[in-house]
Amino acid sequence: MSQTDLIQLGASLAAVLFIAWLVRTIGLGADPRIQDAEHAIRLAEEAETGFRGIEVARDRAGFAAIVRNAEGRMMLVRAHGNHFAARPVDEKVVGRLDKDFLTLTMPERTFGAVTLQLGKDAGVWASRMRDLNCG
Amino acid sequence: MDKLPDPVTYAVPAFILLLIVEMVISLRADKSRYDARDTLTSLLLGTGSQVAGALVGAAVVGLAVWLYQFRLFDIGIAFKQWWWAWILCFFLDDLAYYAFHRSAHRVRWFWASHVIHHSSQHYNLSTALRQTWTGFFSLGFIFRMPLFLIGFPPAMVFFCGGLNLIYQFWIHTEAIKKMPRWFEAVMNTPSHHRVHHGVNPRYLDANYAGVFIIWDRLFDSFVPEQNTDPVRYGIVKQLGSFNILWAAVHEWVGIAKDVWYAPWRHKLSYMWREPGWSHDGSRQTSAMIKERWAATRPSEEPAE
Repeated sequence: MSQTDLIQLGASLAAVLFIAWLVRTIGLGADPRIQDAEHAIRLAEEAETGFRGIEVARDRAGFAAIVRNAEGRMMLVRAHGNHFAARPVDEKVVGRLDKDFLTLTMPERTFGAVTLQLGKDAGVWASRMRDLNCG
Repeated sequence: MDKLPDPVTYAVPAFILLLIVEMVISLRADKSRYDARDTLTSLLLGTGSQVAGALVGAAVVGLAVWLYQFRLFDIGIAFKQWWWAWILCFFLDDLAYYAFHRSAHRVRWFWASHVIHHSSQHYNLSTALRQTWTGFFSLGFIFRMPLFLIGFPPAMVFFCGGLNLIYQFWIHTEAIKKMPRWFEAVMNTPSHHRVHHGVNPRYLDANYAGVFIIWDRLFDSFVPEQNTDPVRYGIVKQLGSFNILWAAVHEWVGIAKDVWYAPWRHKLSYMWREPGWSHDGSRQTSAMIKERWAATRPSEEPAE
């Protein structure tokens, strides 16, 4: 890389940091939540064309939800930035139950683990996840 | 080789200024158009692309100059005398861009390099700067090579390519709804390009144009934006991560894994077939998604 390239790179990095700082400082952004079961189903159906959700376990704060279809397939939807991202919940997903909380650890490391506060339903959905591993 | 300045370098201050203007508009219209982490990711990916370009730029120029010696015609670079060649070069370069861009969505090898540009779920001017790191590795530059063989001087072609890139910056916005009808008919616009970034089944694999939307109209890949179907942006399997390295290489990792585990006779198909193709039909291509969507939507809804 030439000296000009390095100067341009330095200027680019300075501009990048300034703009990212500006976005945060002036208050741009949103706090997306899954409003209700209907919203969770819509998000799951948008994530996978043909998926038809019939039952939902929604995190109390609305950060994430698990949506199940009539065949028993499940989809995890969680907030990502101002939007949402989803992944199928299959036998590769590790579920851990802790009282009212169910933590799903996805095999895709960059997607990360998601903890849902589901109240008394947490056990039911943990059991469904165990069934996936047994089946 | 004749030397011309890189127009993109001169456009950078305007890019920054327009970004700030769009941010102010978003502050009033819809704050969710920007997210600080997404913007930082987009801009860092743009910086990474700049580094990658600086590292391999000389090789691409060298190849262009080498090919140019086999040219069919001698075309000069002086604008006063060769103004028509400049216009023709810009036009043909845009056609080459269309061919590249269509391939970048239909062939997984090229998609692996291009997906970075589509990996944001936002659509704002910072998204425009989310550019490839692996364009050289994917051989995406071959689409421009015929221009050198025709006889357009490499400096002229690269300058036109720079102008094309600059044009494409301003269309990455939700701040502009529609341009005048005549403009929408001929030119690529924010509305047309929003469709291109859409993951709604209706919008998949459409509007590959760089500057002139006429290529999509001509080659049957044009889809208009519908008010009844607001565009959802990103990729079919959203990344769900702001990790810049993962955004840059995730599809290459996917190809490597698929090729490794696939039966021998299917290995190459995981590179050259369309994104989403699988030998056992366990995944969905965009054509399959569209088919599924068409089968489930109400029959009274008109098809485009």
